[in-house]
Amino acid sequence: MEGVRTVALIDIASGMVVRSAGDQDPGFPALAASVADEARAAREALGPRQPAGELDEIAAATTSRLHLSKILRDRPGEGFLLFVDMDRARANIALASRQVGQLASAVLA
Amino acid sequence: MSAAGFTGALTVIGAPGGTIHLADGAVTAIDTPWSPSAEVVLLHSGRVPEADWEAAFTAAAVARDQLRAELLRRGLLGEGELEALLRTALADGMFAFAAGFVDSCRTEESPPGHPLPLEPAADASWLVTEALRRLDVLAAFPGPPLRPRDRVLSVPGAVRPGAFLGGGRDEILAAADGRRTSRDLAFALGRGLYVTMLQLARMRADGLIASVAPGLSPASDGEDQAEAASGGATVSGLPRRQKDRPAPPARAEDLPSRAARSVPRMLRPRSEGPSRPRDTR
Repeated sequence: MEGVRTVALIDIASGMVVRSAGDQDPGFPALAASVADEARAAREALGPRQPAGELDEIAAATTSRLHLSKILRDRPGEGFLLFVDMDRARANIALASRQVGQLASAVLA
Repeated sequence: MSAAGFTGALTVIGAPGGTIHLADGAVTAIDTPWSPSAEVVLLHSGRVPEADWEAAFTAAAVARDQLRAELLRRGLLGEGELEALLRTALADGMFAFAAGFVDSCRTEESPPGHPLPLEPAADASWLVTEALRRLDVLAAFPGPPLRPRDRVLSVPGAVRPGAFLGGGRDEILAAADGRRTSRDLAFALGRGLYVTMLQLARMRADGLIASVAPGLSPASDGEDQAEAASGGATVSGLPRRQKDRPAPPARAEDLPSRAARSVPRMLRPRSEGPSRPRDTR
């Protein structure tokens, strides 16, 4: 995947980085916990019975980065997130979303 | 101990007691009565049916094979999922030590023998850092810090009948009967100790549950419940004075500080090599 800086598996319930690869800023554990909070908040926003369906992916863009968080479902508790941090200038968010979606099922296999 | 490449068991005496299993200085498993093991999480959450687990356990014992290999061979779990769950359970075990207190430790060299070790093993300093992060998160909630042995009680009338909250909160409300502790709820629901305490802290902040300190009876009358729900504070915001009880810590983060300091200390590299057994008090 073009422009990837960091890939991490994050436990949504605790905000803990389970495993990671690539460059890591010193504040990455705090970022991971915030991403997990974001996923929980998004689930809350969907309502308790989630009439629009389950949360599947969160995309966030800053001026220099793209963050993609893919929910890995069917796991005990609140599940895990596959988080990908990319350089915005080098990554295509639509393509990245498609590729992360294809790779996600292999992460916990 | 990590730097010395120790292989064996570190027995922790304290509350909770427990055992940290190490291989070549890295942590492969943690057993403590305050944090559910990966087995408890998998079975109580329904992720793996108990009959399938028992069959895999028996087959592994008969073949003198690793349980891990048997679980993977039977397709009960994926390799990545098993590693993630074991790593999460390991972090929860270290958090349990950090949330309690350590009286002393004893090392015993032995070949790796835990039935379900984490592979690759976890770096001890990473586990300690994660445990301290978790303590900081819990200490940031208003009121006295929630402790693993605090009993929790659903606040009557806080949720209208039939309402569905989601996020695992309904199960907690149903199980928080004033007798179960945070630790009991974690085991009953098949969730980690930290995750359970974090959710309880959020729910206490939302007025959904109240905590009862160890040694007190469950809040049963209106005054007790109001006090518990307010975190034991008076209307002026000051801690309520209670007869025959020590004064609460001045700041929330003061309470687990002894444990927080002791966890890194017990895994600190030592100048001399480990012997068998040794009291590291």
